[in-house]
Amino acid sequence: MAERKKLLEIKNLKQYFNEGRPNEVKAVDDVSFDIYQGEVMGLVGESGCGKSTTGRTIIRLYDATGGEVLYDGINVHGNKSKKQLKAFNRKMQMIFQDPYASLNPRLKIADVIAEGIDIHGLAKSKQERMERVYELLETVGLNKEHANRYPHEFSGGQRQRIGIARALAVEPEFIIADEPISALDVSIQAQVVNLMKKLQKDKGLTYLFIAHDLSMVKYISDRIGVMYFGRMVELASADDLYRNPLHPYTQSLLSAIPAPDPISERTRKRKSYDPASHNYGDNESVEFREVTPGHFVLCSEKEFKQYQAQSK
Amino acid sequence: MINKEDTISKDMFAPAHVDPSKSEKIAKPSLNFWQDSWFRVRKNKAAVVSMVILVILIIMAFVGPLLTPYAYDTQNTKHNNLPPRIQGLENVHWLPFDGTLTRRDGNVYNAYEVRKIDAYYWFGTDNLGRDLFARTWEGTQVSLFIAFMAALIDMLVGVSYGAISGYLGGRTDSFMQRIIEVIVGIPNLIVVVLMILVLKPGIMPIIIALSITGWTSMARVVRGQVLKYKGQEFVLAAKTLGASDTSIIFKHMIPNMFGVIIINTMFSIPSAIFFEAFLSFIGLGLQDPHASLGTLVNDGFVSMIAFPYQMIIPSIMIALIMICFNLVADGLRDALDPKMRD
Repeated sequence: MAERKKLLEIKNLKQYFNEGRPNEVKAVDDVSFDIYQGEVMGLVGESGCGKSTTGRTIIRLYDATGGEVLYDGINVHGNKSKKQLKAFNRKMQMIFQDPYASLNPRLKIADVIAEGIDIHGLAKSKQERMERVYELLETVGLNKEHANRYPHEFSGGQRQRIGIARALAVEPEFIIADEPISALDVSIQAQVVNLMKKLQKDKGLTYLFIAHDLSMVKYISDRIGVMYFGRMVELASADDLYRNPLHPYTQSLLSAIPAPDPISERTRKRKSYDPASHNYGDNESVEFREVTPGHFVLCSEKEFKQYQAQSK
Repeated sequence: MINKEDTISKDMFAPAHVDPSKSEKIAKPSLNFWQDSWFRVRKNKAAVVSMVILVILIIMAFVGPLLTPYAYDTQNTKHNNLPPRIQGLENVHWLPFDGTLTRRDGNVYNAYEVRKIDAYYWFGTDNLGRDLFARTWEGTQVSLFIAFMAALIDMLVGVSYGAISGYLGGRTDSFMQRIIEVIVGIPNLIVVVLMILVLKPGIMPIIIALSITGWTSMARVVRGQVLKYKGQEFVLAAKTLGASDTSIIFKHMIPNMFGVIIINTMFSIPSAIFFEAFLSFIGLGLQDPHASLGTLVNDGFVSMIAFPYQMIIPSIMIALIMICFNLVADGLRDALDPKMRD
């Protein structure tokens, strides 16, 4: 798999809040992973484990406390000129979680979608701008007439599609989807996920898909990273992760997926995860290690050998 | 019993044609924020009536002085302290416009006939013989001007100060908030008295004094709103699109707090009018021959027993303006507040 191009390299990313004070929070603690061109990278974990913070730090909504984010080999963080920032804003976009909060209630849909077009000067005339807006609306399955309406007139699923259209307006290569479906009801979730899949195929997009719905993540992702308390505990291809979860937290997470089958559901056993079960010694170094090619686990040296034996 | 099989046969049904392009259609007419708000203001009767009264008062403040032949500053000591008398209404006894006064012993007499004056002063005259009708509207004009200027400056200074403080956050924010606390800590009256000592008494020192201290509440409200919107996803989305800070504040934040800003301004207008009247009443306001509602009340208050109309008319005017502004502000708050949205 080495021939695939790395679009994004995240190296030892750290995001601490209230640094140095007693209420310090290590929201993202030393996370490293790569995202390859054209893939969908899923990021899962329980509430508050730092998934969204990771996404927001990658796109510079927060200034990273430490570590690097390399996009196409160029560091995203650090001091940048306005021009560099703008170029970067065009390549990387974000879809937000709450469709009710992510659209400015005072702007017409046309202005919401065209905001990126206006900022980056992508349309030469008013007419071209509107044509681009209509085109984007049709891409996400809405019609022209919706351009002159206000966000409060739309349903959650429609708004989320408007949010997608807004992100697409600047023709990005990489989109961070921050729990784009968790605020929608199930029938609409499928609609939005299928739209995202279709767009990926048509436009060759790369996604970082943040979610806590494991079945949905498996459906859309090529590779999945599991986060726990600000750290990445396991990273593997989607199939590998579901077939052979190594880290006890991943196992616990997978055991929590309800199956739509009453017979197997009766026998499903939930595993709970206790961080103390690792019994790490003081001098054991707990690192992110590659157990099998492409399958990384956060473990100590001892566990590493055990996992390798398990995976054979 | 009728056989259902016979009456409703299968071939009576055909699959409905669903046009996928129409399934996303929204039938409701598109209303923007202002249309929607106006719709709700209209439902509030008190607010509508108050608005009409205010419009009439504002028009009269400018047109009123032109309606009488007497100027607001022309003195005619022969015609001093005349009660109100209006053509046509002078024969209606239960109206106070018949030109009669009551002596202390209870005798009612017609001041115009006793003093053999053939004139009509609609609101009467003051102790220097100046026409109170002209003076009242002149005073309303001045009071409204002071109130609107104070509100405007409040709005400009308060909104920008609050927006900057909230948006930048961190150390700048705490520093700017401490400044506000210091300003709030100085009593308003002291600032005004000092301003009047430094500047010549008149409209300017009152406006300046009101604007030095008045904007703080607006700044605090706007700061709170900015803090609220800073973490909202549509602001984050604008940031990821590369929007500049100014465009985030002016395009995304301030339009969303128009409601709060307007309400705050509307409530600060009556308080400015009241404060101006209070200053004039204690003798710190405008100087003769200029008049504001406060100075008129102050002048009339001297001869309250003998010539009650001199105080009552401007007092009614103040009360009317204040009540109307408060009711309009109340109605606007109900209409603009998104939390009340049904």
